[in-house]
Amino acid sequence: MRRLLGIGLVALTCLALPGSAWAHATLKRTSPDYRQQLERTPARVTLEFDQQVMVMPKSIQVFSATGRLLSLQPRLGKDPRVLEAPVRRLPRGAYTVRWQALSADGHVVSGVFTFGVRAPAPPPSEAYGAKGPTLRDHLVRWAYFVSLALLLGGLAFRLLVVRGNVSPAYERRFYRMAGIGVVATLEVGIVAFLLRAEDALQLPFERLLYGNLAAIANGTRFGLAFIAMTLGFAVVAALLFLGWLTDRRELLWAALLVGIGFASGLSLSGHSAVDAGSSWASELADWIHLTAGTIWLGSVVSLAVCVWPVAPELRREAFLRFSRLAIVLIALIVGAGIYLSVLRLPAVSDLWTAGYGRVLLVKLALVCLALAWGAIHHFVVRPLLERGPAPAGLVRSLAGEGAVGIAILLAAAILVDSQPPPAAPRSPAQAAQTP
Amino acid sequence: MIPPAETVHWLFATGFLVLGLCQLGETLVGSTVWERRRWRAYLWPATAFGMGLFMWPVMVFFTSSTLHMLAHGAWAQAMMLAGAAELGRVRGKLKDPRWELTVALALFVSGGALLVHEQNSWLFSRAAFLHHAIGWTAIAGSLFPLVRAFRPGSAPLRAGFAATMLAVAVLLYCDRSFAPIFGHLSQLAR
Repeated sequence: MRRLLGIGLVALTCLALPGSAWAHATLKRTSPDYRQQLERTPARVTLEFDQQVMVMPKSIQVFSATGRLLSLQPRLGKDPRVLEAPVRRLPRGAYTVRWQALSADGHVVSGVFTFGVRAPAPPPSEAYGAKGPTLRDHLVRWAYFVSLALLLGGLAFRLLVVRGNVSPAYERRFYRMAGIGVVATLEVGIVAFLLRAEDALQLPFERLLYGNLAAIANGTRFGLAFIAMTLGFAVVAALLFLGWLTDRRELLWAALLVGIGFASGLSLSGHSAVDAGSSWASELADWIHLTAGTIWLGSVVSLAVCVWPVAPELRREAFLRFSRLAIVLIALIVGAGIYLSVLRLPAVSDLWTAGYGRVLLVKLALVCLALAWGAIHHFVVRPLLERGPAPAGLVRSLAGEGAVGIAILLAAAILVDSQPPPAAPRSPAQAAQTP
Repeated sequence: MIPPAETVHWLFATGFLVLGLCQLGETLVGSTVWERRRWRAYLWPATAFGMGLFMWPVMVFFTSSTLHMLAHGAWAQAMMLAGAAELGRVRGKLKDPRWELTVALALFVSGGALLVHEQNSWLFSRAAFLHHAIGWTAIAGSLFPLVRAFRPGSAPLRAGFAATMLAVAVLLYCDRSFAPIFGHLSQLAR
């Protein structure tokens, strides 16, 4: 108790300290604007803050796509809230502005944005200096997929497989699982956004706290997806809670449909939306692949975690119904997956020569294992269950299948963060035939 | 398209005003009379839950710094959690009186996040002063639901909680962007 009191006192003291002169500035507007495409070289780059700032040697740096520094010495404008830096003549191309300013408290506020001269500007996540996804990004995306599986799979299993009234013990487990899923989806989504922002801004953690995220939130597909999905899953959390509070299943249906709808944010901001050859069909296929995969995995987990341990009366019926649903889900996963693989791998040899292809091979191997496991459940266990009691060890087998599913999601997370091989250049003859 | 921060503060001030008035009304007439109409029992927790839900757009649209974004996210979750726990108690889904502690936790976390995210000094501007004042009011006010978890029927504790909500509402209504506080406005903010 004393220790707790001590910790509490220290915490209160720390809160009281945000100090006598702590003041950090917020960027109000820039010229050129975020991702603006200009017709001619700007005379200077200007940043306007909400309060007075102090200039630093690297307050404004303009880089070309190859990393050449093209800005001159930054200085304060006539208004002490404005920083400006003259720039050399800029040829046609995309440019990255990295900025930092010293606030009155000594804290450095920082940010990044891009603009183009007679050329489109890339999103800030592809600014000069951004390094791209790392192991942390893979793990966070994996956690996001698993969260989605717990949420969407749990809901779909409750509504499509275990349809009627169920025991309170099952209901408690279901709400815990879906609740963990929706909270994790929101939290992991925030972490994923911050990791992407950290990569774009190229800042250490203590300076990232004062980093301006507006360019990444509003200027990238990833940022827009983060905004939409955060809002969408906050609504899903509310619907799930109200479903629990009022025992109304319609609210769970609404939560499932809204959740599936907003899961499309991943498809609309990933490879299927931006890479060469992407179209509405690739976005739709990606969404179907993701949705069917998460529902399949979440349903397997539901069987192993919610039904088997606490609801023996549901085991037989739930397993048999899920077997029927799984056939549809597997068909959707495999069909959409084959379409996307063909789209992203221009040659079969890319499977073993390109990094993307090798990860895809690992994923395919895991999918084959999961399919074989599922086939044993469908063709061996199901007939046994139809005739009599569940065979011993089935729950361990379900847990194993679920573990393989979770491993597949890891491979999927690495795939999403990897760059597919570029499409082979067309031969001159082909090019001549095409208008 | 995005409203000024002060407008958002006023909207949430209205929410806190509703919370405070509900608590004050229940304190004045007693829980028995207040809950004679069943919907009244749901009024303040539903308002808190709704305010939490509406804080999410604030989080994703006000991204001028990571610190602001995280603070808004903390308030969204704290208010939703407190509202949800109280709704669960009113509905009879949650029986343990210790769920009242979630309200205390939410107030404490909200106050702490306010103080951490306001990096300016008290007299920097009116907004800075109000952030500090609201932060400390919330932290001090968290003592009322904390004690009430162990003394559920106490009217003075309910009155204290109501006063906390009303104080937060008044402070939020006072917010203006870059307005002076007690005639003082930092040169840096001019």
